[in-house]
Amino acid sequence: MKIKFLSLLVAFASLLVVGCEYDNFEAPKSTLSGRVVYEGKAIGVRNNGPQLELWQDGYPLRSAIPVYFDQDGSFSVSLFDGEYKLVRKGDSPWLQQATDTVLVQVKGNTTIDVPVTPYFTVTNESFQKNNNSISANFTVNRIVGTANLEFVRLYLGKSVLTDQVQRELRVDANLANVAFGQPTRIVGELPDNLKNLDYVFARIGVKATVSGEYYYTAVQKIALK
Amino acid sequence: MKLRFKLTYIGVALLTLSSLSSCNHDDWFDRDSKSLITDAQLWNDPKLLTSLVANYYDRMPTLHGVFNTGGMTELDDAMWSGHRDQNWRNDYQFGDDYGRYWDYGLIRDLNLSLENIDQFSTQLSDAQRKQYKAELRFIRAFVYFELVKRMGGVPIVTTQLIYDFSGDPTPLQVARAKEYEVYDFIYKELEEIKEDLAVYNASKTRANKYTALALESRAMLYAASIAKYNNLMASPITTAGGEVGIPANMATGYYTKSLAASKEIMNGPYALYNENADKGANFYDMLNKKTGAEVIFAKDFVTSLKVHRFAYDNIVRSLTEDNESSSTISPSLSLVESFDYLDGSKGTLHDKNGAGNYVAYQNINDIFANKDARLFGTVIYPGTSFRGRAVSIQAGVATWGANGAYQFTAAPQLGQNYASGGLWTGFDGPLYDAQDVSNTGFYIRKFVSDAPAASTRGTSAANWWPWFRLGEIYLNASEAAFELGQTVDARTYVNKLRERAGFPANSISNLTMDIIRNERRVELAFEDHRYYDLKRWRIAHLVWDGSENDPNAVVYGLYAYRVVRPGHADDGKYIYERVRPARFRKARFFRMANYYASISQDVINKNPKIVRNPFH
Repeated sequence: MKIKFLSLLVAFASLLVVGCEYDNFEAPKSTLSGRVVYEGKAIGVRNNGPQLELWQDGYPLRSAIPVYFDQDGSFSVSLFDGEYKLVRKGDSPWLQQATDTVLVQVKGNTTIDVPVTPYFTVTNESFQKNNNSISANFTVNRIVGTANLEFVRLYLGKSVLTDQVQRELRVDANLANVAFGQPTRIVGELPDNLKNLDYVFARIGVKATVSGEYYYTAVQKIALK
Repeated sequence: MKLRFKLTYIGVALLTLSSLSSCNHDDWFDRDSKSLITDAQLWNDPKLLTSLVANYYDRMPTLHGVFNTGGMTELDDAMWSGHRDQNWRNDYQFGDDYGRYWDYGLIRDLNLSLENIDQFSTQLSDAQRKQYKAELRFIRAFVYFELVKRMGGVPIVTTQLIYDFSGDPTPLQVARAKEYEVYDFIYKELEEIKEDLAVYNASKTRANKYTALALESRAMLYAASIAKYNNLMASPITTAGGEVGIPANMATGYYTKSLAASKEIMNGPYALYNENADKGANFYDMLNKKTGAEVIFAKDFVTSLKVHRFAYDNIVRSLTEDNESSSTISPSLSLVESFDYLDGSKGTLHDKNGAGNYVAYQNINDIFANKDARLFGTVIYPGTSFRGRAVSIQAGVATWGANGAYQFTAAPQLGQNYASGGLWTGFDGPLYDAQDVSNTGFYIRKFVSDAPAASTRGTSAANWWPWFRLGEIYLNASEAAFELGQTVDARTYVNKLRERAGFPANSISNLTMDIIRNERRVELAFEDHRYYDLKRWRIAHLVWDGSENDPNAVVYGLYAYRVVRPGHADDGKYIYERVRPARFRKARFFRMANYYASISQDVINKNPKIVRNPFH
């Protein structure tokens, strides 16, 4: 009798175990990673700023999978294998292409470069420290012919996360002096709270009027001592 | 034998039963249900209809209004100083869905009621039917206004949508109307019903003729400013189908309609509340007491019947009557500084002189002297009182350090005295990083009831929520007149409102849009206007730019310190330090995408005709 009871208990317990496994979904194992690029060069963005969206067809209800960026323009998402549509959303430093989707085949770990068309780019940037100021030399290029320039700005910060939101100093360029394709210069006087640090981080940001987000250059560490 | 006996019994029982049922047939089977109300009963009984309408009034939507303590701490006027579990309000950014509103359940209920009154209300008089329908249509217009404010053009549904089981749901899928079409719909509805609502002109809690006009005044002003300011943006926010964005040439028409509605209200039976000679207390009483002729339409509360806990949430710490909570809304320094001085100068507080040295004041409230009286009515600042008791707001003491600068120290416990005597840190803080005590050095006075036991959970507060009041109408009129080029009228309206706040007559001689915008901020603080105002002027992304260095986007506080510096002229006086409270973590950041909230994917899945909002 006792044996019977025990075996029954074991039988029921094993049923429970089976049930558990049956109910759970397997976590996605594949990774889609990549960068947003223009002419092969990654585009810098604001930390916690622009996003891409992934969509998948074939299900009755659709819902977007948000794709977040690192500030150097790279991203990675955990996904199931399958075919996805990647959407370049508005309010980004590049053209909105909401209907012109990028088809992505995800199988195992997949890497893609997402081509985008920024309104403006900044090239040939270099930063120098002279006494208590940082000067930045760079070239602003207009990529989208109809875009209008709103701000060209130099950012200095204490941390590697430096942008429009997180920063210690912001210096605006005089837009009248910004000629596309020609060298531009911004000089920023180091404020008291930065002067005595070992190093600061610098970055150039350019904003088009049509978007709330800036195109940023890569963050550069500048030794002060 | 046994069987026959049994049969007899059964026979007798059956006979008895059948006779019973036939006798009382009518009573027993045709009784009215005690748990169901039929359509014929409901739509013909004025008492039942009134309670139905009351339900709809109660469901009128709001974003930060109707004593929404949390919502009031999500903008630049205040931060959250309550329990730490909601500190996310100090550490978040407006999501794509911030302010999303899509309550077609309420719209359907209203449409159903309108249709059922037509169908079933045979025993009501024509006048009664008209009256109820006008009320329902007012609430429906109010809901559509809330929808268009937050989402842009939405599907205009004015009838019940009933599925016919044909397998084809397309007749139920209504596309979005253009943004201006929704505003036009609201205006048309209100124009049609306003005379029917005149029967309620004596009521402040049911929509009357002037309530309809007040909604017109507000809605038309919103439409006009979107038409104007959206098109002044470097790149206007629009959709190809006009679901978002109003053509610029419609602005004048809307401003004219708004001004006309405002003028009719100002010529009506209302008056600016002016019953207390103390202008500051008068401004507080205006919303706290249910007397006077200022409030046009309110959501009322009654002790022991329908109450709210705004006083429990926000009472000054040392005046708490309950054992938990207090001090949740901490008004910001930028709000305090937006109140001008009575001599007309800008409201920036003079905490330091031109050389960057602290200015010492004899009394702790001297720095706030000669401010717009509305500051007293809105904010509790150091040196004032509430419910007849002085508040104890003092951050600590300032001692003169060896390095030739003031050193600020706060007491380990609230209300302690300093070693050399005198108060160290007040019973009401402020504290830099604590809960249930002000973090900015200010408390909210507006809307916090001073009734006995109002801040207890057992009794709770019963002051009412003003949906519309005359003060706003003056500002609506002033803004519309200003935009229409009627500068003299615009100045008259705003000056009249400022007189009530203690300013001398004609205090503004050169009116600008910035002055009107600031007047709206100070007059209507915490009344669920600021978020929408900044949106419709298209400056929200500039004011709340997410920048950690921007005193408008970051909530700052002002901490008062008592100087302990024996032998010096400033000993015993007070100096003030601007601080960024530790609990305030992330600057307010309004993105372009927030001008119109995203529409839920669920809604788009169900109705493929819905166009997405820009940037979503």
